[in-house]
Amino acid sequence: MTQERTADRPRIDAYEKVLGRALYAADQPITGLLHAMTVPATIAKGRIEAFDLTAAQNVPGVIRVFTHEDFSQIKTTPAARGAYGRPDKGYQPMTGPVVRHRGEPVALVVAETLEAAIEGAEATKVRYAEEAFSARMEDDLASPESEPERQLSSGDAEAAFASANHRIDVEYLHPQQHHNPIELISTTAAFEDGELRIYEGTQAASAFAGGLAGMMGMDPTRLRGVSPYTGGGFGQKNGIQEQSVLVASAAILLRRPVKLVMPRGQLFHTASYRPRSRHRVRLGADGQGRLLAGLYETVQQNSRYDGFSCDHGANPPRMYGYGAWLGSDRIVRVDTQTPGHQRAPHEHPSSYATECAVDELAEALGMDPVEFRLANDTQSDPITGKPFSSRHLADCLRRGAELFDWNRRMREPGALVAENGDLIGFGVACGSYKGSMTAAVTRLRLFASGRCEIATSGHEMGQGIRSVIAAELIEVLGVDPAKLEIRIGDTGYAPQHITAGSWGTGSAAPAARNAAVKLREELSLLTGSALSEEPVHVQLARTRRPVLEVTVDTIPLGKDAQVIEQLRRGIPSTTGPEYPDFMSFSWIAHFAEIHVETSTGRVRVKRVVSVADCGRVMNRRTAESQVRGGVVWGIGAALREAGETDRRFGGVLNNDLAEYVVPVNADIGAIDVDFIDQPDFKLNMSGVKGLGEVAMVGATAAVVNAVYNATGRRVRHLPIRIEDLL
Amino acid sequence: MRSLSYVRAKTVREATEAFAAAGEGARYIAGGTTLYDLMKLGVERPAHLIDIASLEGAGRIDTGGDVLFFGAGALMADVAEDEVVRRDYPVLAESLSKAASQQLRNMATVGGNILQRTRCPYFRSGAIGAYPCNKREPGSGCAAIGGLDRGQAVLGISDACTAVSPGDWPVALTAMDATIEIQGPAGPRSVPIAEFYRLPGETPHLEFSIEAGEIVTGISVPKTEAGRNSTYLKVRDRESYAFALASAAVALTMDGDRVRQAHIALGGVATRPWRAHEAEALLNGQTINREMALAAGRAAFADASAGEHNAFKIELGARTLADAIMTAGRKTQ
Repeated sequence: MTQERTADRPRIDAYEKVLGRALYAADQPITGLLHAMTVPATIAKGRIEAFDLTAAQNVPGVIRVFTHEDFSQIKTTPAARGAYGRPDKGYQPMTGPVVRHRGEPVALVVAETLEAAIEGAEATKVRYAEEAFSARMEDDLASPESEPERQLSSGDAEAAFASANHRIDVEYLHPQQHHNPIELISTTAAFEDGELRIYEGTQAASAFAGGLAGMMGMDPTRLRGVSPYTGGGFGQKNGIQEQSVLVASAAILLRRPVKLVMPRGQLFHTASYRPRSRHRVRLGADGQGRLLAGLYETVQQNSRYDGFSCDHGANPPRMYGYGAWLGSDRIVRVDTQTPGHQRAPHEHPSSYATECAVDELAEALGMDPVEFRLANDTQSDPITGKPFSSRHLADCLRRGAELFDWNRRMREPGALVAENGDLIGFGVACGSYKGSMTAAVTRLRLFASGRCEIATSGHEMGQGIRSVIAAELIEVLGVDPAKLEIRIGDTGYAPQHITAGSWGTGSAAPAARNAAVKLREELSLLTGSALSEEPVHVQLARTRRPVLEVTVDTIPLGKDAQVIEQLRRGIPSTTGPEYPDFMSFSWIAHFAEIHVETSTGRVRVKRVVSVADCGRVMNRRTAESQVRGGVVWGIGAALREAGETDRRFGGVLNNDLAEYVVPVNADIGAIDVDFIDQPDFKLNMSGVKGLGEVAMVGATAAVVNAVYNATGRRVRHLPIRIEDLL
Repeated sequence: MRSLSYVRAKTVREATEAFAAAGEGARYIAGGTTLYDLMKLGVERPAHLIDIASLEGAGRIDTGGDVLFFGAGALMADVAEDEVVRRDYPVLAESLSKAASQQLRNMATVGGNILQRTRCPYFRSGAIGAYPCNKREPGSGCAAIGGLDRGQAVLGISDACTAVSPGDWPVALTAMDATIEIQGPAGPRSVPIAEFYRLPGETPHLEFSIEAGEIVTGISVPKTEAGRNSTYLKVRDRESYAFALASAAVALTMDGDRVRQAHIALGGVATRPWRAHEAEALLNGQTINREMALAAGRAAFADASAGEHNAFKIELGARTLADAIMTAGRKTQ
C-alpha cells in the first residue's frame, strides 16, 4: 500500500484507445453480418395507412423490409423506451401503425451491405394519415399535467418572501439540448455459443439485456449484453434505444447477425435529449444578506407517453441555508420522442436558473456574490434537517476565489475594460450533485504469476472507471497494471449496473477495494500469518497455489442483499442523496472570466477556475479531465447549444454537428481545476463521492453571471448569442 | 445498390467530353467536400463523376504577372498560405483561412469553393423528410420564410428564397473584382464575378452563371495596391468551424489620408456575395474614423429586409463592416 492516494496515473486504457485497438460495439468482427437501416417517419404524428415496399425489396442486396406487421409480438414493458420503469408509460416503435413523433422508425430494411440497406430505406414508400400535433411546450396542443411531479417545502416560504427586505422574481428559460456523443448509437445482434449476444455501447448492459429479453419474451439467461466501451454516453445511452429490440428481433427472424448504426441526423429524433424547461425563481433576503425564502417553480417538456420525471427542484434548496422553501416541478406533454437524462440532467438547468437568481439577489443587496454565498452556507439540509455527510463548499469558494484572483472583480458592470476595449466580466456560481451508489458483484482472481483479473459491475464511457478500479487494486494489492485485466460492461462476466448519475466511481471503487481487501484476508488465511510487504502474488506462489479467487457482493449504504438480486435481474436501484443519518452531495464552485467585444457582442470565455469537493480523488488526471469536460459543456450551454424545432414540422432543424453548435477548441480558454480532496468515509469505504455530473453543475451560471458583470445585461435564456448583446 | 461511374480526366477537353458522353446525372468533382456532403443529404444524386482534381495545371498559383492567377484546382490551404497572397492580399488569405477547418481546406479547391451551395437548413433537410425548398425542388415553396430564419439573408432576398450564399472566399473575390475563367464545349470565356452569382428571384435553383458541362478553370484577381490595406472579418456563432452570421471584405486605395477607392463586399447576410457600392461611395474621398465607418456600414444595409429572427443581422452586418473598415484603415497608416 505504497501508492500515493490521488496519483496522477495515465489512463489504464490510454494506449489501447489512442492506437485504435479498443473495439467499440459497432466494431466487432462478426461473420455473415447483415446491415440494417431504419426508415424514419416524415410526419410528426398520425397513422400509417399503407406501405409500398416493392422498390425497396427490389434493391439488389436487400434481404427483407420489416414493418410493424412483423413486430407486433414485441411487448411494451416498463423497460421499454421512455417508460423509465413505470408500467403505464413508454412505447416501442414499429409495434403498431402509429407515428408518435417525426423521425420515429416505421420500417427496418436489412441487407447484405450498408449501401443496399440505405438505398432500400430510401426506396421504402409510406402513406400516412397525418394528425395535428405540437412539438413545443408553448404550442396549442401541448398538454400540461394537472398535478406537479414533485413539491418540496420547508416553513412558510410565501410569507417569508412577502416580508423580505430584498426580493427578486425572475424567470429563466433553458432550451432543448442533444448529447451528441461522438460514438453513434448502434445495435449489433449476433448468435454466439447458443445465446443471443447484443453489442451496444450502453451504460446499462444488464438492464438492457434483461429489458430486451422481457420485450421479446425470451429467457434472460440466453441473452448476453455487451458494452465493450461507450464512446461518450452522457445519459443518452442509459436505456433501450428505439431500434435495439427491432434489430434483435430482425436477427432472430432472419437467423443471421444484424447491425444498425443510427445516423446522427436520425439520432436527433430517436435518441433522448435534454428537454426544454422554464424556471421561475423568487428569492428573498433580509437587510443583512440572510436568505429568508426561496420559491422555485419549474415546467419541463416531456413526450406524450414517457415516464421521465421532472426533478429540477431536488437540489437548489440544499445549496444554502434558506429560511423557508417551496418548490414544484411540472411537466407539459408534446409530440416528440422521449427526452431523458443528459449530463447533470436536472441539476444543470436548475443550477443555471437558481445560481443566476442568487447573483441577481446579491446584486440587489449590494453584496459580493462570493460573500453572499459564504454568508448563507449551511452544514445541514434545509428540507430534511439532516446534516450533510460532508460539505466543503465554502472551501471551494474560498480556494477558487484565491486561485481566480476574484478580488480584481469590479461590482459595477462594464467597469473592467481590456486593452482592446473588450468589456471584462467575472462570474461565480456553485453546484451540487447527489452522492449515490449502486450495488456491484465482483470476482477477483490473483494468479501466482502476478496476473490479476477482475470482473465487476460498471461501464467505461471515457470517464475512467477502469482506471479507478485499477487504482484500488494497485493500492491494496500492489498489482502490476500491465498484468491487470478488467472485465466490465459485459453481463457474461458480472451483472452490470446502470453507470450514470455520478455513482460509477462511488460504486466501482468500493467494489474493487472490497474484493481486494477480501483477497488479502483469504491469502493471509492461506499463508497462516499476516501478509508481508512482498508482492501478494509472490506470497500466493509460496502457498503453491496457482490462483486465488474471491467473489464479493458490494451492497451500498442503506440497502440490503435484495439489491444484488435486483442487479442480477437488471433492475436499477441506487441510493442517495438521503441516507438514514445524513444527506450526501458533491459540491463545486466555478469562477469565469469572459470578454465581450463591444461592437459585435461576441463573448469569449478567457478562463475558468473550478474547485470541487468530490470526496477522495481517485486519479487526479482523469478527475481533472472530467471537470474540464463538464466546464466545456457548461460554456457550450451558456453560449452555443440549442436544438431548434420548427413548430410546423416538429423536427429538429439543426440535426448535425455542423449546425448544432458545440464549442470548438478556439472557444475554450484556460480551465484550471482543483479539489478539496477530503475523503467522505461516511458514504463508502473508498471515501469517494461523485464527480462526473457535479463538474458541469453551475458552470453555465458562472458564465452567464460574468456576462452580466461585463455588460449589465441579464439575459434570461440560453444560449446567450450575439443578438442578445448587440 | 445505386451504381456510380467515375473517371479521372487529365485535360479539360477530356473532362468536357466525358461530361457530354455521360449525359444525365453527370457531375464534376474536385475536392469533393461539398459534393459528397450533398450526396449524403440526398440533395445531389450523381450517376457519373468526372474527377477534375488532377487536370494539367489545375493547381497552378501564379502571382508573378499583372494579375493573381489561381488555378481552380489549387487547394484552399495552399492559397491561404501563399506568401505573396498573405503579404499583399490579406483579404484573400484571411477569407480562406477562416473558412471550414484545416482538414477541409487541405482537400477543398478554390474553384469548387466558389460553387459551394447554401447551408440553409431547409435546403439541407432530408434525414427525416425534405421540407419545402425552391432550390431543391423548384415550385415546392420556401419553408425558411416564416420558419426558423435566424440564419437567413437580409439582402437580395425574394419571395421564393432567402438562403444565404455561404462562402468567404467568393466575398473577398467580389471585393477584389475577380474574374472567373471558364471552359466548356464551346471554348473558354471569362465572367466578371459580379455577373457570376445570380440573385434568387423566381428561380433560386439557378445559382451560378455557368452552363452544364462547363468547368471553372481559374480565378484571376487584378493586382491592386488596395490589397495591402485589406482585411476579411468574419463573425459567427463560434470562434472557428462555422459559417458567417456576417462578414466583410474590405480593401482600400488611399490618397494620403483619404480613401480614393474602397472595395467592399459582404458575406453571411445576402443571397449572393454582396458588393456594397453604397458603402464604397460613402467612403470614397473621406478620411476614416469610427463614425464614418459605421455610416458606411449602415449604408450597406439601407435596403435590407428581415424576417422574424434575423433582424439582428442588419445591425451586426453594419458593425462588422465598420470594424473591418477600421482594421483596413489602420493598415494604411
